[in-house]
Amino acid sequence: MSIVTVQLGQCGNQVGHALFDVLCSDAQEGQRKVFSSSSCERFFHQTAHGDLVARAVLIDMEPKAINQSISRAAKSGKWRYGETSHFSQKQGSGNNWANGYCVHGPRHRERVEELLRREVERCDRLAGLMAIMSVAGGTGSGVGTYVTECLRDVYPKSFILNHLTWPYRTGEVIVQNYNSVLTLAHLYQLSDAILVHENDTVHRICSQLLNIKQISFGDVNSVIAHQLGGILQPALTADSCGVYSRNPLGELVSCLTCHPEYKLLSVSTIPQMPSSSMAYSTFSWPSLLKHLRQMLISNTKMEEGIDWQVRPPAGAERTRTLTGPSFNTSLANLLILRGKDVYSAETGQRTDLRTPNVAFEDPALFTSWLSSEDAVNVWKTPVPFNKYEKCATLVSNSQALLRPLDNMVGKAWNMFASRAYIHQYLKFGISEEDFLDSFTSLEQVISSYNQLR
Amino acid sequence: MQRSKAAVSVEVKQVIGALCRLLAATGLESVPAPENFRRAKFGGGLEVEEQFWQLLTDILQTSGIVSREARAQLGGEHRALVAAGLWQTGYHADWMYGQGGGKGGEGGRFSSKDLLLALGWLLATGKLEKLLTQRIQQLDKTLLLTPTPVNPQLPNEFQLDLASLRKLQWLIGSLRYQGRTLLSMQEERTCLLHAVFFASLPSSVSSTSSDQGSTLLRKDCACMQQLCDLLEAYLKWKQVETVFWTWMDSVVDCHLTDPVFKKPTHAPNGSARVCHHGNRGLEKLENMLLRLPTGQKGQRRVREAPEDRGEGLLQCRSDTSCLPPLLSSFPCPPSCPQVYRARLQTERPCRHSSHPAHEARGQADTPDEFAASQAAQPLLHTEALLLERRDRQRLANRMQLQDMIGRLDELVLIPP
Repeated sequence: MSIVTVQLGQCGNQVGHALFDVLCSDAQEGQRKVFSSSSCERFFHQTAHGDLVARAVLIDMEPKAINQSISRAAKSGKWRYGETSHFSQKQGSGNNWANGYCVHGPRHRERVEELLRREVERCDRLAGLMAIMSVAGGTGSGVGTYVTECLRDVYPKSFILNHLTWPYRTGEVIVQNYNSVLTLAHLYQLSDAILVHENDTVHRICSQLLNIKQISFGDVNSVIAHQLGGILQPALTADSCGVYSRNPLGELVSCLTCHPEYKLLSVSTIPQMPSSSMAYSTFSWPSLLKHLRQMLISNTKMEEGIDWQVRPPAGAERTRTLTGPSFNTSLANLLILRGKDVYSAETGQRTDLRTPNVAFEDPALFTSWLSSEDAVNVWKTPVPFNKYEKCATLVSNSQALLRPLDNMVGKAWNMFASRAYIHQYLKFGISEEDFLDSFTSLEQVISSYNQLR
Repeated sequence: MQRSKAAVSVEVKQVIGALCRLLAATGLESVPAPENFRRAKFGGGLEVEEQFWQLLTDILQTSGIVSREARAQLGGEHRALVAAGLWQTGYHADWMYGQGGGKGGEGGRFSSKDLLLALGWLLATGKLEKLLTQRIQQLDKTLLLTPTPVNPQLPNEFQLDLASLRKLQWLIGSLRYQGRTLLSMQEERTCLLHAVFFASLPSSVSSTSSDQGSTLLRKDCACMQQLCDLLEAYLKWKQVETVFWTWMDSVVDCHLTDPVFKKPTHAPNGSARVCHHGNRGLEKLENMLLRLPTGQKGQRRVREAPEDRGEGLLQCRSDTSCLPPLLSSFPCPPSCPQVYRARLQTERPCRHSSHPAHEARGQADTPDEFAASQAAQPLLHTEALLLERRDRQRLANRMQLQDMIGRLDELVLIPP
């Protein structure tokens, strides 16, 4: 079972590279044959000489990011990209979604599909496709949307996960909200699950948890890669009978995004710290889980600055929808625990009030229409991840992304209302109706998530 | 019918041959030789008749029209069985109601042509396709024959509110994902199987396990071969089917010109409907009428029953019994059949199942026919009764409404 990764645009290629780096070095760490071979089968194929080659296709309209990723991977000596599994052009998409979606995508469709087909045919069994991209620029968002559309056409029965990096709220690109709205609205129809990292959150993790003074994109990308790796590395599901799951993406989406109106996933990982302090820290599962649970319900994306006042609503409050705006209602959560003594970690109902509250299966955390048995899944593996002795990752389909999404759509709408920069998009062949359709479908998403309480 | 007889006679034997091969391929044991079809058309004698009795029995039984229990009840007497089976498929002929199912005891009216016609009827009503489907399901093991039992009953507390709807959508999504997972597993299995076969092809291993495997494979292979033969036979039959029906028309014609048939000797309690083969136009008209309102269907069934009148009455009673209690206390309308089928009076000797529309000339001796003038009286009576019933129901409803309003203290209703 293998996952084919598609790295799109500058951001996608950098995050993808960081991810493969984490996956490879983690798989080769220590003596754990089963885990390591399972991980390698998922993300790499082995050449006759024993080289690990990433099951990835690199796509960008500029050669810079791709060349960088390829040479850095080759330099690492542990793994590399396929010699011919990349596609680049000389001219970028100019941060314009329409340019990527209407011009570059269709123009290069055949060559891209050919690359993808070759990579897919290398897998004994395709577990799914993962497209990594940002939503702000032109290539990742526009070409990325187009390529996802092609993937859906060519592999209608495969699982498709999109990993999106959301831009800084203060803005890197003036039209980033347009690009984001168009991308998200289209992907919502195509993808099985949309996994989101917000640059702002990751940046705060870098500065506050990892104590990095001058934060580069490399730092941001390695945090994203660490969190993604925590999800994607092999783990044992409840009914896997001690065998690492062979259908990772299928199981991920079955846990979290069965409902077509709810596809946005957020990630939080605990602990995260500078590697220099790791040697001096010990963690217990109850305390990690207690923190993670409070991060979930108070919608704090990192360990620092958790609001401990937020409590799940009691039964009576719930029916009167008096829950404060700060409480984050979940639809479904997936908890992935890795490391020492993982089987002692309890996530069920709290039985003793003196112990820390680690009850992820508390029905009060969830929307009323899905029972907590359906809504909570826990994957475990005793294999530690990425040098952390214990590591808990929470993938949550909850209201966590509601506010940033609302914010993004609101800003884009304000610009659209004054028709700012619209002509830049219309000239590539999309219409104002396309914009309106996208706004409408995202408003529907926002309203669906609002109704979760 | 426009085809020249010469052309037909050349082809017909091959066509019947195709049919026989197809029937044999569907798993029927006793299929007569093509030659015997021709002999049956011209009254081939007891031996031929026997073969056709057997064929009809087989078809009726294999396609599940007649159960094994019924066969046991009838003591293996396949004439009664065939008559019963044909009756269930909607086929009617005089011989079916005679003593012993047309053993030839009724003045020789019965002949092997009747059996051919019955066979034609079964083929025309799609029994062949039914047999074919059954056989394919037996042979093709890759078909999902028994779908996983799903409990169609919704839980009692199920309500169609938004929450349930969302939960339902979630479950559907979950099923969709499961389906995709299963598909990809199947694809992988296919790949692996292919690899295994490919690897084991050059080396002829003779271990026990591979022997076992190859016996299974041989069985599967034989099944597949049979399946192919079956489908091929069906295809061939479909291509030449029209010729067969042209020939069958000639059987019908032959049947009608048979002088024996013209004797109008019917038992008075006999069938209500007779297969009319003479006047094509009339037959067509009748068919059109039959297809018209489905409401007549039940009525027709009742009338087709040998104990015609009695069952008609029964049906009427059971109708009233399922009325709401208030309604059923009202007098029942007269127990005459409620639906009539208009039919033109003809001079043909066979009887009609309904009254002529325009004349009252003595057809009333048959129990289920009414002349229009005779029917008018009871219909008027029924109308009066129904009107009375309607008025009483209205009154009762009104009282009930007033009662309800009376119980609502604070509500004042001002009549318009």
